[in-house]
Amino acid sequence: MKHHLRNGLNAGIVFTVVTIFLFLVGFTNTIADIIGAILRNESASLPLGMTPEMLNLLIFFFFIGIWAGASGAKKAPGEKDSWTGALLAGGLAGLIHGLFVGLLGWLLGSLAVAGVRMTVYFAQLLPVVIRTFLIGLAPLQGAIFYLVFFFLTGILGGAVARGLGRGAWRHSFSLWLRAQWQKVTNWGLVKFFKTNKIARYILFGVIILLFFLLPLVVGQYWNYTLGTVGIYVLLGLGLNIVVGLAGLLDLGYVAFFAIGGYTVALLTAPSPQHLMWNFWVTVPIAIILAAFAGVVLGVPVLRLRGDYLAIVTLGFGQIIAVLLKSDELTEFTGGPKGVTAVGAPTLFGHSFNDPVAFVYLTLLAVILVIVVTIRLRSSRVGRAWEAMREDETVARAMGINTLSHKLLAFAIGAAFAGLGGVIFASRNQFTGPEDYNLMVSFNVLASVIVGGMGSLPGVVGGAFTLKGLPEVLRELENYRVLAFGALLVVMMLIRPAGLIPTSRRKMETGKTPGQDAGPEPDPQKGKTP
Amino acid sequence: MDPKPAVHIRRPVSTYRIVQIILGIIFSGYLLWRLYQVFIAHPAYGPDTWLRFSIDGIVLGSVYALIAIGYTLVYGILFMINFAHGDIMMIGAFGGYFVFEALGNIKVGSATTPDLTFLNAHPAISVVLAFLVGALIASTSGYFLEKIAYRPLRSAPRLVPLISAIGASIFLENAGQLMFGAQRRDYSNPTTLERGTGWGIPIGGHTVILTYTGVLTIIASVLIMVGLYVLVRRTRLGRSMRAVAENKSVAALMGIDVDGVISRTFIISGALAGAAGVMWGIHLGLVYYYVGFIPGIKAFTAAVLGGIGSIPGAMIGGVFLGVVEALGPAVLGISFQLKDVIAFSILVLVLIFRPTGILGEVLSEEKV
Repeated sequence: MKHHLRNGLNAGIVFTVVTIFLFLVGFTNTIADIIGAILRNESASLPLGMTPEMLNLLIFFFFIGIWAGASGAKKAPGEKDSWTGALLAGGLAGLIHGLFVGLLGWLLGSLAVAGVRMTVYFAQLLPVVIRTFLIGLAPLQGAIFYLVFFFLTGILGGAVARGLGRGAWRHSFSLWLRAQWQKVTNWGLVKFFKTNKIARYILFGVIILLFFLLPLVVGQYWNYTLGTVGIYVLLGLGLNIVVGLAGLLDLGYVAFFAIGGYTVALLTAPSPQHLMWNFWVTVPIAIILAAFAGVVLGVPVLRLRGDYLAIVTLGFGQIIAVLLKSDELTEFTGGPKGVTAVGAPTLFGHSFNDPVAFVYLTLLAVILVIVVTIRLRSSRVGRAWEAMREDETVARAMGINTLSHKLLAFAIGAAFAGLGGVIFASRNQFTGPEDYNLMVSFNVLASVIVGGMGSLPGVVGGAFTLKGLPEVLRELENYRVLAFGALLVVMMLIRPAGLIPTSRRKMETGKTPGQDAGPEPDPQKGKTP
Repeated sequence: MDPKPAVHIRRPVSTYRIVQIILGIIFSGYLLWRLYQVFIAHPAYGPDTWLRFSIDGIVLGSVYALIAIGYTLVYGILFMINFAHGDIMMIGAFGGYFVFEALGNIKVGSATTPDLTFLNAHPAISVVLAFLVGALIASTSGYFLEKIAYRPLRSAPRLVPLISAIGASIFLENAGQLMFGAQRRDYSNPTTLERGTGWGIPIGGHTVILTYTGVLTIIASVLIMVGLYVLVRRTRLGRSMRAVAENKSVAALMGIDVDGVISRTFIISGALAGAAGVMWGIHLGLVYYYVGFIPGIKAFTAAVLGGIGSIPGAMIGGVFLGVVEALGPAVLGISFQLKDVIAFSILVLVLIFRPTGILGEVLSEEKV
């Protein structure tokens, strides 16, 4: 019984915090809107003076309440599986959940009645949001309503959990899923492609060909999006070399992106430099400059291990942004206004600057970078990087010059970022300090890590998911960055090797993805002299 | 006297060392030339301006010092940079802000003074309350941050908790933006602590104002640092913290609850950051969701400058960084917009010339 009560208490507190957090960041309303869009009940007439928004919010809270109850009624170790225990735990979780959510409602309602404008303090709490939250009731009634509502849903959740065998359903569900997967793979055509190598290559070829033809059929907007995603793939591939292969955490990656972009912009634009060089001439210059910046930044910090690099590069990225924005460099780089009319690539006297052409240009660059990465990875240099990433001391003992290899990784990563910057600036025909904020670095880092550090399909997939998916789910745009942060933490907690890990990582992490038991020693070990 | 070794091993002079020396000569030469220019050849500012800059620097520096101690405490124990530390400071700053707002809405006036609010009637209680609430909220977030994002990863490779910390930092910052909105808000100080008011110091025909908020900041941070020093040096918890920093497994064998000590370290460092956030708000007056980002980087610089892992080092580093940052643009003759560039350049210079920091805590390779 004690275990049940403690589980219920914990679940109640956790769900209270989560619910209040989601409410304060406005997520509950977004979800309610989405539920409304699914149910198409914008103009439905409801009893008790409820608006459709209130109903949708309640539907969302209903599921949250059930979840709270169910997670409170988790099976306690060594406890007899009983209905009473499950219902009690679920009810307790629901009671606590409801108490605090109701308290919040009462507080907000009373403050609203007293005439305090909550939006001054909490951006999402518009008066209509508070009214919706209270289901149009008076503060105290609303609070009591939530107490009862969450108590009931909690009990229901406990009952659901007990009915489903308390977590046993998860096991049976995964068994069912595996059985379905088996069925699919045994299906004739799939089996044919799985066993026949030539057929598989042809299939891949067709898919790639389709991908090549894609830009021609989709419209302007999707081509633009595709181009953006492609640039992020490019950046991700570059950062993959630095973070994924060499194991150096670079948070100021955007600086090299900016160097590439600004180089091409300043050299090809009519103002502020009046140079107007040919695009193709500037590409190698931009790449070399970015790589050079990487080396210059790398020399002082790469001699030290790990963490310093992260913060120095973070500072470097910030400094580049400050410098680009400051008035000191306005005459040279155009200052906060940025540089307009950046030159487009020309081919045989024909200047192409429509999105389709840029998608192809990006694709070409991505393929080039992938080829370079694959060749590098399987070369002596790549093996040295991976050895260094796993254990630097051992790598050094094996005769690897760690400093020069780190510098090389840094320079190559920076060069790829420079290439990305060139295409980015040229495609937008504009470049300004706002294009190069730190979020770019974090986006790219997130895509590398979510996909799987060091794995090429992982990076490409990660960039598509993190950059492409939000374009599809416009409603959730506000929560994108928040989700990135949470995603980084969650990925590290449950699957540090990434969604599509490299085969080597897979072997290392084996069956227990929770603990990436890399051969890195406990920091304590080397400490005692 | 030690007997000399029989065989001399001539260590090759590395190129890096030569580059280091050349860079050092160039840099110090430039600095001396600038100092000569600014003070002797073309004195651009009077003594009052320099005094004003120095006061500003010391006040800001004492805030940096508090945040830097948080970095150093955590680094000393876990050898990881708590990236979200600056955002914990932001949370503390908002805690103090809400206390001031709430107290500013409570009317306690009599018939003669109908508009008197609790905030203005009892400024001392209000400020103490703001510090307490800010520190409490920040230390709670620090505790949960460690519990959720760092504890499960303690045995993982170093990159893993670092990435988790960055994720937590992004998360907190954006949660702040979504919750509180993107606009900057004014900290509504009690009227007796109005920003910009203070004691006038006459110097060179001008008056330099020593602001009340600045004095409050310095006093509060000195008190907190003394308290922390006593805690670390004199109490049982401090002893176990030092033991865990020395060697976790041996400390565990000695009967120290390592997890508990680490939790408490995060609580303490969170409280320091929260107090620093409230100070920041009271003295500088603006809070916004990314308020902790720049101070976070600078405080890390201060911690490295003083020697990461060393508490007195963090204090010295913080104040030093504050002063250098305040005087730097004037000495180097560059725009004040580039203040942040100076802090960052200091970080890089320290890493080039003396990675162990001022107090030179000897860190083995494994630690650094």
